[in-house]
Amino acid sequence: MRASIGLIAALALGGAIGFGWGPGFSGPGFWGPGLPAAAQSADDADEWDGLAPGPGREEVYYQCRPCHSLAIVKQQRLSRRVWDEVLIWMVEEQGMPEPGAEEREAILEYLSTHFGPDIPR
Amino acid sequence: MTKRPSERGICELYEQDPEAADYKIFGRVANGDRRGFLKGAGLAAMGAVVGGTIPFHRNMPSGLIPAALAEDLKDFKLTGKDGLTVLNDRPINAETPAHLLDDDITPNSRHFVRNNGIVPEKAEAMDASGWSLTVDGGVNAPLTLTLDELKSRFEVVRLALQIECGGNGRAGFNPPARGNQWTVGAVGNSVWTGVRLGDVLKAAGMKDSAVYTGHYGADPHLSGDPAKVPISRGVPIAKAMDPHTIVAFEMNGEPIPALNGFPVRVVAPGWPGSCSQKWLNRIQVRNVVHDGPKMTGQSYRVPAFNVAPGTKVDEKDFKIIESMPVKSLITSPETGQAANGRSLTVRGHAWAGDRSVSAMHVSIDFGATWIEANLMDPPNPFSWQTWQAAIAFPDKGYYEVWARATDSAGVMQPFAINWNPRGYLNNSMHRIAVQIPA
Repeated sequence: MRASIGLIAALALGGAIGFGWGPGFSGPGFWGPGLPAAAQSADDADEWDGLAPGPGREEVYYQCRPCHSLAIVKQQRLSRRVWDEVLIWMVEEQGMPEPGAEEREAILEYLSTHFGPDIPR
Repeated sequence: MTKRPSERGICELYEQDPEAADYKIFGRVANGDRRGFLKGAGLAAMGAVVGGTIPFHRNMPSGLIPAALAEDLKDFKLTGKDGLTVLNDRPINAETPAHLLDDDITPNSRHFVRNNGIVPEKAEAMDASGWSLTVDGGVNAPLTLTLDELKSRFEVVRLALQIECGGNGRAGFNPPARGNQWTVGAVGNSVWTGVRLGDVLKAAGMKDSAVYTGHYGADPHLSGDPAKVPISRGVPIAKAMDPHTIVAFEMNGEPIPALNGFPVRVVAPGWPGSCSQKWLNRIQVRNVVHDGPKMTGQSYRVPAFNVAPGTKVDEKDFKIIESMPVKSLITSPETGQAANGRSLTVRGHAWAGDRSVSAMHVSIDFGATWIEANLMDPPNPFSWQTWQAAIAFPDKGYYEVWARATDSAGVMQPFAINWNPRGYLNNSMHRIAVQIPA
């Protein structure tokens, strides 16, 4: 897990070079304000960009947050099957590092539990 | 994004089991024909929540969440934007509440934003130095144009053009579909200044083998990986050659705002907004259907045949979305407002992808009867059309105004959503709540 965080961080920060108009050359590698705080903070959903406490929260945060805001995650109300498809799509199409089997299960479980079709918005 | 209002709990109950929600929340039991309120049970409770009696309750379908409660919009501030609801901040996605789309021409500050990658730094700085457009692939004379060359080599046109996100209305899907949960406001109709894409392709000597365009922009991928492209879509050559498909460099007479694609973008009106590549820097002519990111798989595609809600559909059974379907919005009054008396002028816009809108109707009795609205001609093809209707209400109470457009082929907006896995093409009727005082 930690190794993949480092990899993502290197990718994102590595993007912060160049100023041209060519595809893929600019890019601030922006980190949201929550990241460093969340890494060390107490059990407070606000520190985790609004993710409620529960098994898998840390894995979800570090897997998703490096590239995109959690706002898009929190909008979703998807079945476990569709969340599984989303994770496959993220790895195959969007360059997300493949999580280890245990992390992947924790992520899938957290997303299906907290952002499943029956959860009130 | 902060906490959501408690009304969302009500919306969720309706999404899960509309008729059970009717009963749980309002104690409503419908008549045998699933309309009205059996013995009036629940009518007072629903009236109390919507803030008045419901004169046409006998027509109200069971399991229909009152429009007074159905919208849940929060206002956030975004640079250069006014009153938009931010759905996501990385990438930035923001829509416009319906009542803020009342202008015939959408101001820059009110045009929705759907980004797939990161806004280029030079666009943020509104710095066009060094920008160029490359036209290559299946052409006899590849071109590289500076901004000045683009503006001076081709005839400049100025058109009001509507752009709507393919996923506008996704929030209405049940089971929910993945992606930004757009409600109704991922649509805009600004005046775009630019040159015809067809003229540019002709200047490059497009070959007869051309089938599709492939558009590329300067927006970096969210991962920061310079080898990855966040989105690259295109259009069939016939759409590219349509004189209303343009390479735009001004929006409402000003440089295009950073969030909307500075300095240059495609505007392919009437098709999913993703065909209108922002921060455009390359157009590739393809001799096959373009296969860039978000052209393939399930992206901007729907099943080639109707499927039951929740169906898992094989990717080979998806087809690319082309023209968007007929649709309309009520932009005045804002939903939930009390009228001053028993009459009210209702206004909005209607559009129909590649077609035009030929008729517009409104209903104040849950669709039992319809009133024809006055529909204006568009200033040019592919602009939305403004409509208005003067309505007299028979009694005090809670009403819903429903709006239904009919396109030039006679196709009307449906009441229900034709479900598809990724939540595209929801052109169901827009509804607003109106209170008529005593």
